[in-house]
Amino acid sequence: MIHEPLLQVAAAAPGAPRDLLDEFEAGQLANDFDAATPEEVLEWAMARWRQRLAICTSFQAEGMALFDMAWRIDPAVRLFTVDTGRLPQETYEIMEQVRERYGAAVEVHVPEARKLERMTTHFGPNLFRRSVEARLLCCSVRKVEPIRGALDTLDAWVTGLRRDQWASRANIRKIEIDHDHGGLAKINPLADWTAEEVWDYNRAHDVPVHPLYARGYTSIGCTPCTRPTGDGEDPRAGRWWWEKNAPKECGIHCPLETGGLEHELEAMLHGGGAER
Amino acid sequence: MPKAPEIEPDWELVRKRNFVERLKHEKGGLAVLDDLPAMIAAGYEAVPEEDMVRLQWYGLYHDKPKLGHFMMRVKVPGGRLTPRGLRTIGEIAQRFGRGHGELTTRQNIQLHWLEMGRLPEVLATLAAAGLTTTGACGDNVRNITGCPVAGLDRDELFDCRELLAEAADFFIRHREYSDLPRKHKITISACAHQCNAPEMHCIALLGTFRSGQPGFAVKVGGGLSTWPRLADDLGVFVPAPEAIDVLRAILDVWREDRRYRLSRARARLKFMIDDLGPRRFRERVEARLGRPLLDGAAPAAPADEADHAGVHAQRQEGLAYAGFPVYLGLMNGEQMLRLADLAAEVSDREGGRESGHGRQDEVEIRLTRRQNFILANLPAERVPEIVRRVAAIGFPFAAGNLRRLAIACTGNPFCNFTVAETKGRLRQIVDHLETAFGEQAAALGELRLNLDGCPHACAHHWIGDIGLQGTTLRERGAAGERLQGYDLFLRGGLARGAAIGRPVLRRVPGDVVHLAIERLCRAWLDGRQPGEPIQQFFIRHSDEQLIDIAGVPAEVLAR
Repeated sequence: MIHEPLLQVAAAAPGAPRDLLDEFEAGQLANDFDAATPEEVLEWAMARWRQRLAICTSFQAEGMALFDMAWRIDPAVRLFTVDTGRLPQETYEIMEQVRERYGAAVEVHVPEARKLERMTTHFGPNLFRRSVEARLLCCSVRKVEPIRGALDTLDAWVTGLRRDQWASRANIRKIEIDHDHGGLAKINPLADWTAEEVWDYNRAHDVPVHPLYARGYTSIGCTPCTRPTGDGEDPRAGRWWWEKNAPKECGIHCPLETGGLEHELEAMLHGGGAER
Repeated sequence: MPKAPEIEPDWELVRKRNFVERLKHEKGGLAVLDDLPAMIAAGYEAVPEEDMVRLQWYGLYHDKPKLGHFMMRVKVPGGRLTPRGLRTIGEIAQRFGRGHGELTTRQNIQLHWLEMGRLPEVLATLAAAGLTTTGACGDNVRNITGCPVAGLDRDELFDCRELLAEAADFFIRHREYSDLPRKHKITISACAHQCNAPEMHCIALLGTFRSGQPGFAVKVGGGLSTWPRLADDLGVFVPAPEAIDVLRAILDVWREDRRYRLSRARARLKFMIDDLGPRRFRERVEARLGRPLLDGAAPAAPADEADHAGVHAQRQEGLAYAGFPVYLGLMNGEQMLRLADLAAEVSDREGGRESGHGRQDEVEIRLTRRQNFILANLPAERVPEIVRRVAAIGFPFAAGNLRRLAIACTGNPFCNFTVAETKGRLRQIVDHLETAFGEQAAALGELRLNLDGCPHACAHHWIGDIGLQGTTLRERGAAGERLQGYDLFLRGGLARGAAIGRPVLRRVPGDVVHLAIERLCRAWLDGRQPGEPIQQFFIRHSDEQLIDIAGVPAEVLAR
């Protein structure tokens, strides 16, 4: 049968054809690997996707543990991060430490200059203090879009999401399809680890630790939007503590890796769905 | 690779690994109701997020973007609503929910836009009308579904309405069943057409007879979501009076095994059934019961799916039921009120035969799993008039099969999970098919379109004639925005052709998906063998052929 195509395709997609899981396969794999160790999951994923897979990190404990495990499996594993332009000096220090310790190139993605220029010229450099919408715009330009750009070149990415962090993460699977980011595979090898197990691993393997943990930070992001929390204080007070009408959970539990941040962002900035 | 751990973990390990188990241990989901007045006094901003999770135990989820509005799911066991019940829900929708309402694929009604401060009044109003949201979400026995014409249909094997109502009540009253490993879905019916999808429930009781005695075959371990599985026949016969005991034993075996509480990714009964097989599971149920079960077999699957649409004479002389289409499952508060008024008026006019337990033949509104409704106990001679009046409320028979059978999940703008348009997209697809096929649309017969916005499969995309699941494309729009796409699932179905579909076409751009579906349908109409169902047509063709037929270039699907 000859059929006229529905779409005219200008040119073949650049690069190698993608190796994407389909929903059925992803479900079966997630079940098969549910009780597997992080190393087993990494080994399988790295063998399948090789250079089409990368670990995403902001140099917190989970990302560092994952990179250490993956590097031991294959030192050629890719590691990427986003330099939002507002990171604390300590993040750059650990970035250097990783380069030295592992001899690895950390792939750094940055915000689009034009957009950053327009945003800061129009709304000022500290727009995030004005409103939740302005803060979400800042997150979007400085962090979400650069990560999306990185994900566009990949067929699989590795995150440090853990189930015990929050109820909405309790159901995550170790192997999923990331429907928020064009359908690439999302690998969550630490899904069933506790924070304690991550720290135990890092200590046992002498993995570099972000210096801000020692100063009471529980989550590390941009300098103006994170702060240390005291003993017994809600860790959620460590992010966007001035906000009064922010969506629930997103103070800390909706980072980009879960898709949650983008859902809030679209709902609040574009007034509803992700309709084109 | 080992799946369930060989040694059963202790509670300490379970709570260490599983956030929700920890949360339930600290304070049970149902206990949140006692705190509601204090939560309201403190204000929404101050409410701990853990308590927001616990509100699921009362059928409440945050609507997107989690700024103080809730979705509320009202349980309707067996889909049976009185006019008063429907009126109550309609009034709540009008007063507190901006008039929005939707019917679900599990015979619930969902409202949106509710504010926390209104909840005590809303819950009390529902309770006064005999309705509840208890256990509608969260780790509970969810709404127990059944055949929407139970007790009415002439083909029905026997009437199990009382059992269904008793089971629904039992698992709410016994609080141990509000701490299940995860949600749990039960269906009970003696429908000759097995219209209640026993293939995809955690537990299904299927009516059957043994030596003239009414009872049930049991299917276990069905479910969809990210790991779809068709249920297995447990191979038993349960006499009707023992049904609750057996349901209870199955739930006890399930909830007491801590292996399946470690990981919520495997905390559904289907995983246990898959690990053990039905025979070993049966042995555990028998051990829990303390007696063997009788051997039996599930009745053969019917040839086709049924939904009891249209007008049919009831078992009761002189009465009829009529199944109406609800396009996209949307029924707003005003429509609920008008429908309730109509139903009440018909009941009153007929004088309603009184019995010890109230009006026996009162007109009822029965919700169906394809998001439609049936009016039951209509005086046969008044049916034409009633059909006209229901059409005027917005549910005309003339809507046709496509609109009646197409279902989509809640999706935008309410659901936090969806990545694509659902009801809006389905409307676009159905409208397009109606225009494209014109008078030929009738030839599409009972085409079932099942559209979901995420992998959770609330609208059962795995088992539609054509299932759709939303995703995003790699390309961006002109302003850098995300673009929507859909995976198309083909070859799935229920009844005799029960099968889990596969995503044959992936990432079809949202703006051409209706065209791809039109082409698949056209190819089937043009190329089918006599009487060949669309599922069979898809099975007969290879993936490559179907991709070619749909006309989406392989380069697009591979991007």
